[in-house]
Amino acid sequence: RGLCVAAGPPNTRQLREAEEAAPVFQYAGKAARRKDRVFVWGFSFSGALGVPSFVKPDAGWKKPRRIQATPYRLETEEKISSAACGYGFTLLASNTRDITKVWGMGLNKDSQLGFQRSRRDQTKGYEYVLEPSPIPLPLEKPQQTRVLQVSCGRAHSLVLTDSEGVFTMGNNSYGQCGRKVVEDEIYSGSHLIHQLKEFDSRVVQVVCGQDHSLFRTKKGTVYACGWGADGQTGLGHYNITSVPTKLHGDIAGVNIIQVSSYGDCCLAVSDEGDVFGWGNSEYLQLASVTETTQVNVPRHLPFKIGKVKEAACGGTGNIVLTEEGNVFVWGYGILGKGPNLIETAVPEMIPPSLFGWSDFSPDIRVAHVRCGLSQFAALTNRGELFVWGKNLRGCLGTGRMEDQYFPWRVTVPGEVVDVACGVDHMVSMVRSF
Amino acid sequence: LNAAPERAPRERVRFLPTPAPGGGGAVELVPARVPVLADHPLVRGPRFRKLKIGAGHRLDVKASGVFVLGIGHGNKLLTDLYNCHLTKVYTVGGLFGKATDDFSDTGNLIEKTTFDHITREKLERILAVIQGTNQKALLMYSNIDMKTQEAYELAVKGLIRPMGKSPPIITAVRCLQFALPEFQLEIHCLHETQQYLRKMVHEIGLELKSSAVCTQVRRIRDGVFTVDDALLRTQWNLQSIQEAIQNCQLKVETELEKTL
Repeated sequence: RGLCVAAGPPNTRQLREAEEAAPVFQYAGKAARRKDRVFVWGFSFSGALGVPSFVKPDAGWKKPRRIQATPYRLETEEKISSAACGYGFTLLASNTRDITKVWGMGLNKDSQLGFQRSRRDQTKGYEYVLEPSPIPLPLEKPQQTRVLQVSCGRAHSLVLTDSEGVFTMGNNSYGQCGRKVVEDEIYSGSHLIHQLKEFDSRVVQVVCGQDHSLFRTKKGTVYACGWGADGQTGLGHYNITSVPTKLHGDIAGVNIIQVSSYGDCCLAVSDEGDVFGWGNSEYLQLASVTETTQVNVPRHLPFKIGKVKEAACGGTGNIVLTEEGNVFVWGYGILGKGPNLIETAVPEMIPPSLFGWSDFSPDIRVAHVRCGLSQFAALTNRGELFVWGKNLRGCLGTGRMEDQYFPWRVTVPGEVVDVACGVDHMVSMVRSF
Repeated sequence: LNAAPERAPRERVRFLPTPAPGGGGAVELVPARVPVLADHPLVRGPRFRKLKIGAGHRLDVKASGVFVLGIGHGNKLLTDLYNCHLTKVYTVGGLFGKATDDFSDTGNLIEKTTFDHITREKLERILAVIQGTNQKALLMYSNIDMKTQEAYELAVKGLIRPMGKSPPIITAVRCLQFALPEFQLEIHCLHETQQYLRKMVHEIGLELKSSAVCTQVRRIRDGVFTVDDALLRTQWNLQSIQEAIQNCQLKVETELEKTL
């Protein structure tokens, strides 16, 4: 009768007041930090991805996932600063001063992940490690030493620390662990982790080839040990070496700033931007200087592509990155310039427009290049990851099972900081937005 | 339009009887050009009573900008232009801190959030990711077999484009202005709707751990037609329309030849 008035549609003043009175939610405050995450993808049945439910499902509805085709987040306890993928196993290392600094997962038939005590039988070790498990290193000062870098080969792995030298574990049938070869040694379930300290200066980079190891010291010298039948030790002979020995040849006296290897060919970059190579050349990797298929002494590769900043070696193809941000590939296989380019002895440039460069965004540059056995990966300065090559068991992470003939973006929810490529899986360190 | 000088009436040859020179009686047939009576303006009436006008890509009520129309025979060119699949450029203005149900600032408020942690670098990072995923979609929906050499060459030149139906794809995004809480983006896109662009603004807000609404959508380029060619409300008269049609004819023809 005049006491109750119908509400009616809210007029503008009521709307404005309701808006101002609404509560404000805060999702990210001033101290919100970007988190560091690890993403893995590829073949999972070896355990190399570190997700046990892919191999042994823990819930009834889960099915075993043989291949993880797109990036999958891996939960880690610490921030991972360095990762390396071997042939069916992975090592993750963190920069902390805590007691556990290195975790490993995947194949452990040659104790390349150290001794993982089995819970069922305390005397034996696990042959397949499905979850990132800590690797006990025999450190003298475990709460002060930091692990700088890890590297994995076919059946051995190297861990580089800042003050206690290099630790090697795994298969030593060719002396790749840096210790004397013992006849009929059983590597499975072995507790032995060898420590290498005798170099001319501190070791700053360790690289594993398939069955050999390379060490780069602060002074710019390179040491090698392991299998040498393809000349990949670069010591002038084709025998195995069980003690790290200094390399000479064209790199004697040159300050080397980066070494790289994954298969049987090795590349080194000097501080002046020159590239040196040695090892297997069956796939025209070193055909620009020699016709022989095995080169056992480091040779300078006279490429006129500009000052080289970074190089990466794969099984059959090589890739370098120059100071201007251009990417050059050569060798054999899917090199990244379409299906017609299968092999070349001279480096060919991949057009920057394939990495997202255009008139709209002219400041995109490739910042790092990495190589797996038959895949290549490139990281741009915007944090995008491009992959190409043979898509062996889904290792490219594109979501498709076909080979990729030119650089293709991998969708990762974050900015990719580093990536490690293996034979059939890849690990990337990513910062969230 | 009807007042403009018309086509001359058709003429035809008729044999007219005229009295023969000389003595009367015999009638001769002499050919002469005579205008056809059916073409006389008083008989036929005004030339244009209705005009067929077709519209190019849709522009909804809350947006503004270039809107392409085709008149009469120009409608056929409209379908050809649609099949060219050229990109459109929009300037989109957004506001951080609010989330509404229809993603624009005139909708019902759902939530308010803080936004002082947002910086220009974070926004540009998100835009780079959006560009990256849309680049992938561009390659996937273009239905070209990735394993061929021509796919590689087109990808190098950047000419891969979906030539059929596809979901909205953004080819390029750029941040033009950034002044908290407002920001302005320039978006180049294909097969989109304005509501999709507003949803994109909302999703950018969510990615930045806040919320955003879209305040302005303005199309500045539709294929070959830019804001400079467009006619303002005050210019909607016959003279300027005819001039505009003539200016654009050449551009449209070259574009069609290039693509088809």
